[in-house]
Amino acid sequence: MSRGSSNSDAGSREPSSSAGEGSFPALYLDGLTNQKHRVTVVPSASLDITGDGVSVAAWCYDDIRRADGPHGVLRLRNAAAAEFARLEVSEPTAQAWLQDLCKRLDGEGAAGHVSTARIVAWSLAAAASLLAVIWFGVPIIAAQLTGLVPLSWEKRLGEATDTQVRAIFGGRSCASAEGGAALTKLVSTLQAAAGLPIPLQPVVLDSSVANAFALPGGKIYILNGLIGKAESPDELAGLLAHELGHVAHRDGLRRLIQDSGTGFFAGLLLGDVTGGAMLASAGRVALRAAYSRETEANADRYAIALMEKLGRSPKPMGDLLLRISDPEKDNPLSIFATHPLREDRLAMLAAAARAPTGTPLLLFGEWRALKAICE
Amino acid sequence: MSKGFGPGALEACPAPHARVGFSGGDGEFRRIVIRGTLLELVTFGFYRFWLATNIRRHLWTNTSVEEDALEYTGTGRELLIGFLFALTILIPIYLASFAISIEAERWKAFAGLPFGVAYYGFWQFAIYRARRYRLTRTLWRGVRFWMTGSGWAYMARALGWTLLTVLTLGIAYPWREAALERYKLGHTFYGDLPGRFEGDGWVFFKRGWRLWLLLLGLFGFILVYVLALRNYVALSIFAVPIAVGSFFLLCFIYPAFKAVEWKWWAEGLRFGDASRDVRFASNLRPGALATNFWNMIGVCILVVIVAIFTMIGINIVFAVLQPWLLLPARYAVITCYLATVVVLGVVWRIYMGQRVWKIVVSSISLENLAAVDHVVAKSKAASAIGEGLADSLDVAGF
Repeated sequence: MSRGSSNSDAGSREPSSSAGEGSFPALYLDGLTNQKHRVTVVPSASLDITGDGVSVAAWCYDDIRRADGPHGVLRLRNAAAAEFARLEVSEPTAQAWLQDLCKRLDGEGAAGHVSTARIVAWSLAAAASLLAVIWFGVPIIAAQLTGLVPLSWEKRLGEATDTQVRAIFGGRSCASAEGGAALTKLVSTLQAAAGLPIPLQPVVLDSSVANAFALPGGKIYILNGLIGKAESPDELAGLLAHELGHVAHRDGLRRLIQDSGTGFFAGLLLGDVTGGAMLASAGRVALRAAYSRETEANADRYAIALMEKLGRSPKPMGDLLLRISDPEKDNPLSIFATHPLREDRLAMLAAAARAPTGTPLLLFGEWRALKAICE
Repeated sequence: MSKGFGPGALEACPAPHARVGFSGGDGEFRRIVIRGTLLELVTFGFYRFWLATNIRRHLWTNTSVEEDALEYTGTGRELLIGFLFALTILIPIYLASFAISIEAERWKAFAGLPFGVAYYGFWQFAIYRARRYRLTRTLWRGVRFWMTGSGWAYMARALGWTLLTVLTLGIAYPWREAALERYKLGHTFYGDLPGRFEGDGWVFFKRGWRLWLLLLGLFGFILVYVLALRNYVALSIFAVPIAVGSFFLLCFIYPAFKAVEWKWWAEGLRFGDASRDVRFASNLRPGALATNFWNMIGVCILVVIVAIFTMIGINIVFAVLQPWLLLPARYAVITCYLATVVVLGVVWRIYMGQRVWKIVVSSISLENLAAVDHVVAKSKAASAIGEGLADSLDVAGF
């Protein structure tokens, strides 16, 4: 392997065509047995290999390729002979001759004959197409698949994640009799107005976090912290209508399929590169955020339409959002935020503001009972 | 042990042991890994197949048995093709596991278990096929190694033995290793010379049980401690000293255990008929891997310290001098973090790869190497696709 270690007089001595003068000793392995043959190599029209005066093989120079050998040993193979036949040359001068004589020593088929530039170019092309699949293909496929998944599967999925949600936010669900009745009334009013065929299962969890979210299959979780921060039924109803939007659009299921697809293709791309898993997951979060901006906006539009149908104003929902969230626009990691920027949403909700004309969604007593659902 | 000088006394004298040597330079390997890692970053990870190949070429070529160096004839292209084919198997498994895990979640108690078992099983299958791929690409004196046997049969054995090992809290581990290696080596050939594994689980157990007891004691102590003190305040007071202590104890146990395991494994290798076979010996001391391991820990700690100070420095520079440039500061920190991970990967490949190889290989000597004279090449032409199939799961290994 030591091309650089050739003698300084390498060029001055030409291999002679007559046996003896330009010949050199070598080790020959015929690739059929592991018997080492001490041979004499005579460079003539071809590389003549003789052992004990008997010709063993003759290798054409153009067929000779470099094989991996230890330091100081030039190990050769013959592209036209037995696959594992080897000739090992230790003499530096002989190595230098051979490097001159064998024009295709490092050509196609030689050890380490790899074009790094080609690997890089093809890798970049493959990466670009995989990224295109992730960015454009996966959302389309996810949307298509979402339509194909039966509702019963989606419900199972929701049940499966239920355990995890409860583990995260504490297992206790609240259901005081009057509070539960009020919640049922509120949700069924919304559902009837929306004409949503999926049966809804609203659950209030005893957690101080102010949040609400929908899982696949019509499970809507309302954390008690949100009910505490809400100051009117319309505020809460707006947010519930937003969650109904997620249920109607089957966003949870779509996101699950999308995440799995993205994760799979990203894994393909980065494989076991150290730190690759982290890069992939960071990219996934960013990607999901980009999608979720869109899905959240759609759910907001759904909520606005639904509230208008009921003759109520969507603006109180914005008030509630304002109350529960801290300023987001200045957050440098806002690309990772899973919710669209607050001001955009507030502006959209405020633009839809109107004087309430329909009947109030909850009576005062019912609202009070709902506020106290966890007590 | 007669002391006679009769005829034949000279022949009775055993031939000197053939040494196995490693001549690879540390600097050369470092260059291979650093260059390969940088190319991995540039190629979105695709270069990993060629890096794995280059690492193996270095290790094989510099390993010699009785002055004859091994040769690795695999290529990165084969690994890439194997990986692409493995995908056709992995995609259905991936989808199935997704469906199964959803179903399993509903049976709460055993959530995810079938998936875990299936994944472990496939992993074992891959280990077998990867060994087979590497062996069929290993050449010594112009004759290659090859393997028969079935990855699925190996997987079944591995699953059974692992279950037993778990149930016995690790006591069965030596016998598991012996049985699995017996299967692997029993299906290995060098030309027409069959391989055999004669490592005895009991011998391994006798050499390693103290370390096993130490490990069990450590886990037992932590378990009892956590159960006895359910109070979080009390737990957190001693959490750091206990974690640090456990870490250093593990750093002591692991290299010692690996040294015992490598030595036992090497000593069990045989090639040839029972009457006339090559036997392997190893003079690996139990502490032989410790220095290397602690060197690695030292380098890692150094790298992490440098990284932490760099990140703190970045934050100070940006926060104090240019408080409005918060975003670039974050990106700089993230980049620094990624660079640290990459550097640690390089360190890992050097110390856990080449250095361990070097230490283990140099400890080995062969008795009766004459038994491998006149071996005739004999192997089915192994298809690169079939062999490389499962290798995709494990390309970063040797």
